[in-house]
Amino acid sequence: MHPQLEILLELQDLKAQKREMEEAADEHSREIERKVFKVEPEDAVAQLKEKIAEMEQALEPDVLKRYLLVSERRPRAVVPVLSGTCYGCFMDMPTSMSKTNEEIRWCEHCGSFVYFVD
Amino acid sequence: MELREFFNEDVIKLDLSGDNKDAILKELISLLKLPSKSEGILFKMLKRRENLGSTGIGRGIAIPHCRSLVVNRLRVAFGRKQEAIDYKAIDDKPVSFFFLIVAPPLEVSNQYLPVLGKIAQLCREADVPERLGALETPAQFLELLGDKQV
Repeated sequence: MHPQLEILLELQDLKAQKREMEEAADEHSREIERKVFKVEPEDAVAQLKEKIAEMEQALEPDVLKRYLLVSERRPRAVVPVLSGTCYGCFMDMPTSMSKTNEEIRWCEHCGSFVYFVD
Repeated sequence: MELREFFNEDVIKLDLSGDNKDAILKELISLLKLPSKSEGILFKMLKRRENLGSTGIGRGIAIPHCRSLVVNRLRVAFGRKQEAIDYKAIDDKPVSFFFLIVAPPLEVSNQYLPVLGKIAQLCREADVPERLGALETPAQFLELLGDKQV
C-alpha cells in the first residue's frame, strides 16, 4: 500500500471515530461510550482533533492540498471502491483502472481519494 | 436482528495465546483474515480507541471496537484467554473475554451501534462471565448467544 494512502486511510478512520463522539452524532453512540466505556465524548473529540491535525502534517504537499480541497466539499475525502463503484459518488470507476492500492488515486467524478477494498 | 447471526466458528478462539493487550488485539484481528496491511491499520485504530479510554468494561470482559475503511462490512470476533491479562479495565481487574467489533465508516445497514449495544447488554448479564469461562467449543459460544436471545 502506498504510504500516503495509508495515512489517508488512518485519517479517515480517525474522522469516523470523531464523528461518532460528536454532538451531532447518534445519541446512542455517545451514550454507549459514556455509560459502558466511561469515555467522555467531549474529551475524546478534543484528543482526536489533535491527532488528526498531527497526521495531516504527515501528508505530502500535493496530497494535502487535494485532501483539504475535497474535505471542504464532501463529507469524506477518502472512500472505498467496492465492486468497481466509488462509494463517494456511487459512479463506476473506469474498468481500465487497476485495483491496486500501491498508488494514490482519486475518483474522476467526485475527486475523493479511493481505496480498493476488494 | 440477533447477535448469533454475526458470529461463526471461524471467528471464535477459546485459547488465545497473547499475554498482553497488543498481542491479544493482533490475535483477534487475525481471526478476521484481512490482508496484512489492513491488519496493521486496524490494529492502530483499535489502539487509538483504547487511548481514548479502555474498552475493558469490567467483570473480565473487553469490547475493543472501531470503525475502519479496511473492512467492507461489519465484522466481529470473540476470544478467550484462560489466564486473564492486564487490560487496564474500568474495574482494574484482569480480562479474559474479548469481543472485537469493526465496521466500515459508511455502513448502509447501520448495524454497528446495535451490535455494540447488544454485546454490552449480554455482558451485563450476571451469569455470562461464568458461562464464557466454561465454554469448551466454539459451538457452545454460539449456543450461548442463542440462549440469551440478544
